[in-house]
Amino acid sequence: MEANDIVSRMNNVFREVFDNPTIEIFDEMTASDVVGWDSFSHINLITSLEIEFDIEFTQQEAFGFKTVGELKSAIESKLMH
Amino acid sequence: MTNPPFPNNNIGYLCTDWQVERGLGSKTALKLIDKDENLVEISYAKLTALSNQAANLLSSLGFQRGDRIMLLLSKTIEMYAFFLGGLKLGLNSCILFNSIGEDSIVERVKDTETKAIISTSKMNFRLVKVLQKLDASFRVLLVDENQTEEQFVGIHDQLIHSSTQFSTSATDPEQYSHFHFTSGSTGKPKAVQHCHAGIIDHLRSFEDVMQANPDDLFWCTADPGWVTGTTYGIIAPWASGLTQIQLDANYDPDLWMLIIERQKINILYTAPTVFRMMAQQPEAFYQQYDLSSLKRVYTVGEPLDPNLVLWGRKVFHCEIYDTWFQTETGSIMIANRPGLEVRPGSMGKPLPYLEAAILESEDHPLPENVQGLLCIRKPWNTMFREYVGNPLVYQNKFLGNFYSSGDIAYRDEDGYYWYIGRSDDVINTAGHLVSPFEIESAVMEVPHVLDCAVVGLPDELLYEKVVAFVVHDQQAQSLRKLDMDIKLYVSKKVASLASPKEIVFTDKIPKTKSGKVMRRVLKKQYLGQDVGDLSTMEE
Repeated sequence: MEANDIVSRMNNVFREVFDNPTIEIFDEMTASDVVGWDSFSHINLITSLEIEFDIEFTQQEAFGFKTVGELKSAIESKLMH
Repeated sequence: MTNPPFPNNNIGYLCTDWQVERGLGSKTALKLIDKDENLVEISYAKLTALSNQAANLLSSLGFQRGDRIMLLLSKTIEMYAFFLGGLKLGLNSCILFNSIGEDSIVERVKDTETKAIISTSKMNFRLVKVLQKLDASFRVLLVDENQTEEQFVGIHDQLIHSSTQFSTSATDPEQYSHFHFTSGSTGKPKAVQHCHAGIIDHLRSFEDVMQANPDDLFWCTADPGWVTGTTYGIIAPWASGLTQIQLDANYDPDLWMLIIERQKINILYTAPTVFRMMAQQPEAFYQQYDLSSLKRVYTVGEPLDPNLVLWGRKVFHCEIYDTWFQTETGSIMIANRPGLEVRPGSMGKPLPYLEAAILESEDHPLPENVQGLLCIRKPWNTMFREYVGNPLVYQNKFLGNFYSSGDIAYRDEDGYYWYIGRSDDVINTAGHLVSPFEIESAVMEVPHVLDCAVVGLPDELLYEKVVAFVVHDQQAQSLRKLDMDIKLYVSKKVASLASPKEIVFTDKIPKTKSGKVMRRVLKKQYLGQDVGDLSTMEE
């Protein structure tokens, strides 16, 4: 899967989870940049990404991401293995 | 009601102009920090000028004493300026949580006949949909825009060019000031109305419990959409002339500890859920930081486990005080505080000017060590004045001369109160009360859901988690997807904190013969306990 494809699919998940069609994700983006990204919606975001990419995060991984870039790298890594 | 000993009873005035008149104009009122640790300091003189500009702008736009407005802003200087400016003008304001869903906004606006929302263009994606469901006269004022398009009114430059002078009219203590929303076990969330007389209890509860020195730096981490965030994150510290700090970013243990260390926070007021999140870090994590400035740490919102009190003492090297109050009570009622021996796990004792009681019913107070309804004798200054548009529900909150909190507790032989749980079905998740009814209504709208019931169950982090029991139809192809669809829909429709943490798919929801959900049975089944008497259950 191409990196751009991953970003595009991640972007769709972000828009769906945060109910915001204007979201454009970027690597340095954090929870504070997205309206409604709190600890409750974070769980929904992680689960939605797991479903979208058919992967699974450990609990430690799920709560360890601080930026969208870190999240993207983890997805890429899981898709490669 | 006690007469306030102030030159003007207006809360907005007392938080700003009054402090300047008392010689604190150059003192820092607010240290506002963003996620990148950028710091902006606002003096009392500046806060006064900014709130005056907001009051003048709102006046020029036609808002009048008694009008209701809502603020959908993060912790920015504009949020504080418009909240205080609105108070000065005599408006009745409500600060909303940023994560609130669009239908929840619409219902809240309609139920309270709110005239406008003040927000930023960042929220337009949600507000566009909100406006489609409201009257054409409703306005959204955008603090970061200048263009006006239909119901969206750009006010950025208008605010800057508004006069910094404003004379606050004499304010009747009973005039409405601000309102919050709270959930009951049935029906929609209700608007809880407070008035300017509350300032007396805001101040004396702050003094009795926090016992801050004039030079102390105070940090209340609560969202201002929550009563704690308004009472102790805006009003009480500023009406006391203190410097307070606010962080416009989500919880991050590194950032929080850095702020305590670098800013030298003296008093921290937070939630037990945050404490539980903090306790997930190893103790070595805290040894990286110099936290010696902390004198006291307070919590509110849900019971603080005794082991967390002990953990907090060890990590922060200071005493940990749990406090209790509700949206309806408006200020702290019962608290652990300096001068009182802390009994870990206890709510503490009532504040000196209040009378608490454990009642079985209106005329039946219960003796020590017997569980019953936790009640407070009326009136007090921050006591809510009404559930807007719900006079009967308001009336039912009182047992004779006592306000009935809905919490079950007992009082020990030394006068300490101990929380047991709720007397109704309301769920306390991370310190927020949510209504199972509101969540069930949303879940039932999701395709493939035939029936559902929502309960609160014990959770290590959240105190209680929202669990939805769902019956689905045969067309649902992927339960994992349906699980996610339900969670996202509740998050959008109600709020992210109401989104079920867990969904249990089942064949049938246990109900009484009259059709009422037997939540007790669901809870016991989930926890693997004996479900007890099922004679009233439908077959």
